[in-house]
Amino acid sequence: MKFMVSLKPGSKSENKENDKKSEQATVQYLMQTLENLQKENEILKRDLLKSKRTPSGKIGFILLTIGALTLIGSVVYTSTVLAFIGLGLTFWGALFLFARPFKFVKSIVLGSSAISSYTTIDRIIQDLGYKGKPIYIPPYPKEAYLPEYLKGLKEMIVYIPAEDVIAIPTIEEMAKKQFLLQNPKGICIAPPGYGLINLFEKELKTEFTQVDIERLCNSLPTIIVNNLELAKEFEINQENNLFHAKIVGSVYKDLYSSEQGFKSIHSIGCPLTSAIACALSKTTGKLVTIAKDAVSPDLQTIEIWYQTLEA
Amino acid sequence: MYFPLSIWDISLWIAVTAIILLVTSELLAPYSDYFGDFVIDKTRLRLAALILGAAFMITVLLRAVMPP
Repeated sequence: MKFMVSLKPGSKSENKENDKKSEQATVQYLMQTLENLQKENEILKRDLLKSKRTPSGKIGFILLTIGALTLIGSVVYTSTVLAFIGLGLTFWGALFLFARPFKFVKSIVLGSSAISSYTTIDRIIQDLGYKGKPIYIPPYPKEAYLPEYLKGLKEMIVYIPAEDVIAIPTIEEMAKKQFLLQNPKGICIAPPGYGLINLFEKELKTEFTQVDIERLCNSLPTIIVNNLELAKEFEINQENNLFHAKIVGSVYKDLYSSEQGFKSIHSIGCPLTSAIACALSKTTGKLVTIAKDAVSPDLQTIEIWYQTLEA
Repeated sequence: MYFPLSIWDISLWIAVTAIILLVTSELLAPYSDYFGDFVIDKTRLRLAALILGAAFMITVLLRAVMPP
């Protein structure tokens, strides 16, 4: 653009003026952005302060101290009333300290932290021009004995083939934990739900490789809705080699919004749906792909169809 | 100078507290751990309620074994 303008005779001063104007506009824009960011920062600081103000610990200590003093008083003055008051205060103080909550984060933070991963996956797939559907490959059980050079097979992976055909890499290639695979061409990545699947197993108190499909379908709703509170409702049903999961009020629902526009999320799944795919793959010992997904316009309901494939 | 409550007084206190905690824990069960500005670990609350309930049952057994 600059080159074309400079070809015109006698327009150097105009160019300089244009440059200055655009520079000023950029500076103004940057200033405005900075101002907005500062405002956002202030709001976040206020939110953080609010969340830090969980007084159960302080209240617990205060009650415990007053209760202990009252109990001592009851012994000194031999007063039944003081003893009951002391017992009550001490107990509630101890309870407040005992039932202190875990740290909570807003669900929007969870979704935001996953954005960079999906942007990266989208970029990689787009750049390499891969068309294949991601395939969840089941790992070996953790207790299984494997020689040192095959230890990599104990990790859950997702294979994204270059072509739209169902193929899996060789054991040697998977064991080497390579990213770019040559035979067949594709990439191997850690599934987005890799962290969640470990939490699921902790809640289940066993590995998914050790349970049958019926127990998995019964326990997943309890783990997701009650224990980890990742969704408001969850159900999973088996229809031959298809599994239909319905998730209502997922904490990762914002990742499906059209604003984000992630392509990979529909094939690889959000962290929650990916964790479910991992669980299915581990339990059945089969390859799993996301056959189809449907998201309601308000993002509240996510329906996923998983397909199991024979290795 | 001695502690003015007998084991039976404490038993009564435990019974009342256990009932309060059990009812609270049941009422909180359908809600998430975070409601408004008040945050509590429901599992531990329930555990405390159950322990108190068990403690009361022990005092009842004691009363049966050695009546006052």
